[in-house]
Amino acid sequence: MPTAPSSSSAPAESPAFDLLKVPVIGPFFGWRHARTFLQIPLLIVGIAMIAHGLFGPTLAPKNLATTVSWVHFRGALVLVLLCAGNLFCMACPFMLVRQLARRLFRPRRTWPRKLRNKWLSAGLFALILFVYELFDLWSSPWWTAWLIVAYFASILAIDGIFKHAVFCKFVCPIGQFNFVASTLSPLEVKVRDQDVCVPCKTKDCIRGRRDPSGLVVIQRGCELALFQPSKAGNMDCTFCLECIQACPHDNVGILSRPPASELMTDPRRSGIGFFSRRKDIAALALVFTFGALLNAFGMVSPVYALESWLGRVLHVSHEAPVLGLIFVFSLIVEPVLMLGLAAWLTRVWAGSRRATLPLIVRYAYGLVPLGFGMWLAHYSFHFLTGILTLIPVTQNAVASLGRPFLGEPLWTLTGVPTRFVQPLEMGFLVLGLAGSLLVTHRLAQDEAAPHPVRAFIPWAAICLLLWVAAVWLILQPMEMRATFMG
Amino acid sequence: MLGIMLAALGCVAVWQMIGCRKPAAASPAIAIVHEIAPWPARVGAATVTLRLSDAGGQAVSGARIALEADMSHAGMRPEFGEAREIGAGRYQGRLAFTMAGDWVILMRITLPGGQKLEPQMPVKGVRAN
Repeated sequence: MPTAPSSSSAPAESPAFDLLKVPVIGPFFGWRHARTFLQIPLLIVGIAMIAHGLFGPTLAPKNLATTVSWVHFRGALVLVLLCAGNLFCMACPFMLVRQLARRLFRPRRTWPRKLRNKWLSAGLFALILFVYELFDLWSSPWWTAWLIVAYFASILAIDGIFKHAVFCKFVCPIGQFNFVASTLSPLEVKVRDQDVCVPCKTKDCIRGRRDPSGLVVIQRGCELALFQPSKAGNMDCTFCLECIQACPHDNVGILSRPPASELMTDPRRSGIGFFSRRKDIAALALVFTFGALLNAFGMVSPVYALESWLGRVLHVSHEAPVLGLIFVFSLIVEPVLMLGLAAWLTRVWAGSRRATLPLIVRYAYGLVPLGFGMWLAHYSFHFLTGILTLIPVTQNAVASLGRPFLGEPLWTLTGVPTRFVQPLEMGFLVLGLAGSLLVTHRLAQDEAAPHPVRAFIPWAAICLLLWVAAVWLILQPMEMRATFMG
Repeated sequence: MLGIMLAALGCVAVWQMIGCRKPAAASPAIAIVHEIAPWPARVGAATVTLRLSDAGGQAVSGARIALEADMSHAGMRPEFGEAREIGAGRYQGRLAFTMAGDWVILMRITLPGGQKLEPQMPVKGVRAN
């Protein structure tokens, strides 16, 4: 059931840590051009990746496009989300291109009402995972480069036609990943003191500011329609920090909060509404969680045995239908069966008065920590074991320009030995399980059921089941093969 | 303006699709026949045997061959080795496949005349033990 305003929207009980108050870092994030400052180097890196992907070595470990995309970017992304917040969206180089493009053409249309939800982006998120496996993107610099180009083109097309940050809010699969994962981040952009906002008439944090003529925007407000005083949590927040710049009372900070706290409560969230009524966001959370397991499953030996077996049984020699079947089962059938059973038990055994679907929607958010634990375990493995490979690949890329001023590529540089990374992976999985148990326990307690413990048990069982699957996956010998059906 | 930009992007895509891609390896008049033992390849040590011959079918002796095995995924440690001549135009070296999956063996060949070649040999589906 929706709850009264949560701690996120209530006045801070104790002074929270505020990143903006930290020397050097605080003034930097408060600087008007901080975002652009972070975007420019990433844009340069992005262009280098595209160029190297299209014209550089065809072997993935020698190419910047594949090395940076599939080893460094993904790993750094999840670790920053874990330790801080959605800083990638803040530094997103695609947005810099959008800003430049908006100087050339003025978007006039509004995004269709039917698409103002997460269904499209959840589908695109699943599609990216599917394409990654089908075309073995990790082994193809060329396809990886085109994926980046497609991203730039999509942003130009969508945000060139439609007003506001439509691409970020309703389309971008990476952004949706970040939004869901950042519900577990320790930092949140939010008001320092709610009382300061009460008498505010101008609402600059969402409306922005215009010059006296009213024609020229001097300062943007939140383009993702998050009104700071009633914003709760990190969902849909790109850390663009426009609200910090816009607030005339200097009342918006980057504050600390308990990770996952926003998953436990159900206040009306600005720009979002109630989590418990958003089937689309719940579906996104499930794609995030079950996609984490599926993405890791695609890298271990049993998946090849399963594909071969399915191919024989179905008399199919093409990979797409077999892979599609695995995806449909893993991202639709399996979650529906598991969560449907748990919801039914919660109703029948624990006496919950909610219907099955609302129960599934409410508890789906409880699985997010587990999913994030799996993404962390998987991506941090590649990141840490291959962290130094960026050096020889960069040396090689520079040398290919005819000026090897970075020296000969040191191909023996790799990263942290696997034996040191595996305990860390297990730690992430344990952390994910603990988080999911905590959230589902809290949800069960808040459930208007006569037996909260009975309400908790089915969901705890799902968490444990998924955790065992995750541990099993991590313990499997990794096998990176592009020949699924071979 | 937006249409022009997207059309330009489309043209680049077509140009990329049609051609203008680097060949996987140089193709001089040197034939290379390779063999890996054990076959099918498994995780662990492997022996790579190469036979080099020129356009006339004559064995090419006196070449220096450095071997490097890479996974198809970035971020993995490559394995290095050297192939030594064991007979006229026949070279042999050892490498280790440290994990299951798709590998590519790079051969950095320096011919007696100083000419350099860098052919690649895909080794798909190295099996776990």
